[in-house]
Amino acid sequence: MAKIPAVVRSNLTVILTLLAILALFAAAASGMSWQDFIITLLRGLAVGALTFLVASGFSLIFGLLDVLNLAHGTLFMVGAYIGWTVYVRPDTFVDILTPLALIISGFTLGDVWRLLAQRVPQASLWRRVAPWIALVSGLALFFGVMRGYPIALWNMDNYAESPVTFSFLAGQGQRVIPPSATFGDASPLPAFAGLILAGMLASLGLTLTGRSDIVRKVQITWRTFAPFIGLAAGGLILFAVNEPLTVWLFTLDTNWLFLIAVLIAVLSGAGLGALMEATLIRPLYVRPIYQLMLTLGLSAIGIEMVRAIWGRPEFTMPKPALFAGSGEGCPAESLWQALQNSCSTMLFQGGRIRVYNEIVVPLIGLIVLVAVWLVLKRTRLGMIIRAGVQDREMVEALGINVRRVFTMVFALGVGLAALGGVLAAPSIGLSNTMGESFLLNALIALAIGGLTSYPGAALGSLLVGMLQQFIIKYGQIGITLPFIGVVFKPSPPVVPASTVLLMVIILLIVPGGLLGRKE
Amino acid sequence: MTTSSPSFVQRYRIALLILLALVLLPFVIGLFEGASPFEVWSNQSGISRFIQGLAIEIFILALYALSYDLIFGFTGLLSFGHSMFFAVGAYLTGIALKSFGLNLGQTFGVLMLAAVVQALLFGIVLPRVKGITFALVTLGLSSVFHIVVMSRELGDYTGADVGLQGVVIPDFISPATERLRLYFITLTILVVFYLIYRRFVDSPLGRVCKAIRENEGRAQMLGYNTFLFKLAALILASITAVIAGALHTIYQPIVSPDIAGLGFTVTALLMILIGGVGTLHGALAGAAIFRLLDFGLRRYLGESASFVNGAIYVLIVLFLPYGIVGTWQLKASLSVAHMRQGWRRLLEMVGVNVERRASRE
Repeated sequence: MAKIPAVVRSNLTVILTLLAILALFAAAASGMSWQDFIITLLRGLAVGALTFLVASGFSLIFGLLDVLNLAHGTLFMVGAYIGWTVYVRPDTFVDILTPLALIISGFTLGDVWRLLAQRVPQASLWRRVAPWIALVSGLALFFGVMRGYPIALWNMDNYAESPVTFSFLAGQGQRVIPPSATFGDASPLPAFAGLILAGMLASLGLTLTGRSDIVRKVQITWRTFAPFIGLAAGGLILFAVNEPLTVWLFTLDTNWLFLIAVLIAVLSGAGLGALMEATLIRPLYVRPIYQLMLTLGLSAIGIEMVRAIWGRPEFTMPKPALFAGSGEGCPAESLWQALQNSCSTMLFQGGRIRVYNEIVVPLIGLIVLVAVWLVLKRTRLGMIIRAGVQDREMVEALGINVRRVFTMVFALGVGLAALGGVLAAPSIGLSNTMGESFLLNALIALAIGGLTSYPGAALGSLLVGMLQQFIIKYGQIGITLPFIGVVFKPSPPVVPASTVLLMVIILLIVPGGLLGRKE
Repeated sequence: MTTSSPSFVQRYRIALLILLALVLLPFVIGLFEGASPFEVWSNQSGISRFIQGLAIEIFILALYALSYDLIFGFTGLLSFGHSMFFAVGAYLTGIALKSFGLNLGQTFGVLMLAAVVQALLFGIVLPRVKGITFALVTLGLSSVFHIVVMSRELGDYTGADVGLQGVVIPDFISPATERLRLYFITLTILVVFYLIYRRFVDSPLGRVCKAIRENEGRAQMLGYNTFLFKLAALILASITAVIAGALHTIYQPIVSPDIAGLGFTVTALLMILIGGVGTLHGALAGAAIFRLLDFGLRRYLGESASFVNGAIYVLIVLFLPYGIVGTWQLKASLSVAHMRQGWRRLLEMVGVNVERRASRE
């Protein structure tokens, strides 16, 4: 009898499970034509890639921070909506930049306040009340100023000015450039000053609420003011060049605009994540179960905000020009030709494959998979993350500033989710509920692959995507059941049920997930 | 000097007062409106009747929250499939009454059987998976049930995605004609279950459950078969939730399939988090606050209610660290200690030797 290698022996259950899944997969493949099989495979890959983008961030956050971020699906959705805004309404995006820069510029003065706060005697009543007064007045000032700030938005009540219409027009290639933000004859200076002041007040409040038991040495040099001055000047310059910038973005090639949209969505997702971690989640590391409630509350808030700003109706995001053409030479014969003629579809063995949905999305998913894998394996941050997943206390004991790493990982995870959202928008459209379904998918994928395992997230997402798409396909063509010869067509509710069943079976066989850590 | 233990009434005066208030509530509300207690007694429509309905909903939610508190707050099992317990009760009651024409007694028998069976079903996976994996497996089981309920194939029985409706409720507990009676029946059931839970939690059985929550490995080392204790808690929780579900069907004209989804489990989690995890009256208070908050916000804010709701949850988490009841208990015990200390210091200033007085007593 030949000796079985130790690796195989210790992972026998996992390998057998994988073999069983492969056998099932082969059985599923044999029931359909070659062309159907390839298309279903690609669709499965696409869903798997999007699920992976949500799941990987979720698992990084859960692994390192032990936070079950149930708002992850909502952040995925927010990423999609932000990307859409930059892509379809660049003017709104440009309008928002100025107030944002001014607010943040006021915010960067935290160190100055800390120095001043150290001179005020601790534990006085004034010291306790002042931060709240500062925070509330800052907020009030912000809302007061923003009310008069002319940001070009859309009008939900008027159909001609709703996001749906703008999306449709942009898809047709007609882009109306709305007038940019101006104050008319009034001077914009009070508004600018008010925004900077609001940022300062908020930063003052936040600095003072933090317990300053540890007296940090703060030195005020010109460097302390550099970000403040830089951001404020940037905001003012952006306001000055608002109109040319808007026109430039509107006339820009849609491919580049899409790239910018993706970039902005990821950046704002990461910023949102960092803000969330630093302000809301950080106080709760001692009370883990309450994080669930917090993230649930945030998720509800996020969905309502999206509903308030972008409305309830679903709409689509037009594809960038490179993948949207249908002119001469389309549908293309090969991928190369499709890219040359910028076709939206290509022919493969007589079947039509949508280039963006079924080729570009899985490719980007693969690139992200490799990139994050490299970050985890090759960089110092990745090393700290991997060590932290194994044993957080030990990493802290070694003198690494875990706090900052936590914030970075949270930002990274949310950034990945936002990337997933903005990539999903052109293929599946935007809706208020897109986040929830992907969060559930990601949870199932992680349970299958192993909750804190990065390759597990990839494998689980792949399995979930494949299973769903194959069941949907069989819902169309029907399964001929063996031995009886009856054609069975799975109805739509079976799609979620199938992944859930797969999860339950796998968890009962391998409780830690396929690639998870063994207890 | 022997100190007599405080009498029953003294010990439970707050609970008894609340109970009395709840018994009198329909009549007092009636008085505000100008309706005499007799009119309220004969179930005439009015504000009192409306308040009774709201209170019945709160009682049902409180029963449901209690059952979740038992398995999550006391035994430490994070289950994401708790809504299935409730929904099984609701749907079985409706189907038994409507499609099979059983009477209430037979329905009750079926319910108890179903409650034990589903707890055993959860029990099958108990020894295999722990922690967050248990949560996911139970989520899976309950989603399968949700999908079965929603499927068109069983639509004749469950009403698919429209919801179960047209259940004929026996006259003597019909919410339409005998609402006051239903109010008192629900209240009685809630009180009875609360007492059972109190007994369970304070019994040796309940103590082992708490030990499992704190450290399962250690409980096992002490020689307890933790599986049996967890199963006992699950069965009791399942029975409670099933009864809550049955009451839900009796009270509501339509049983929406939403009660089988993850959202309804989250409702249970929110209620006990608001009230305070691992405190029985926290679950009751949480249910009341949750329902009233939701009702009030929906009434005055309309669509943006869930935004404010979410904001309130975030605020509660940040500023009431252990739920409303939990934080209050903590603060109360602290302030009592402070008061005693202050009192002692005052006495010492006057010149009374506290230590000697204490020893003399």
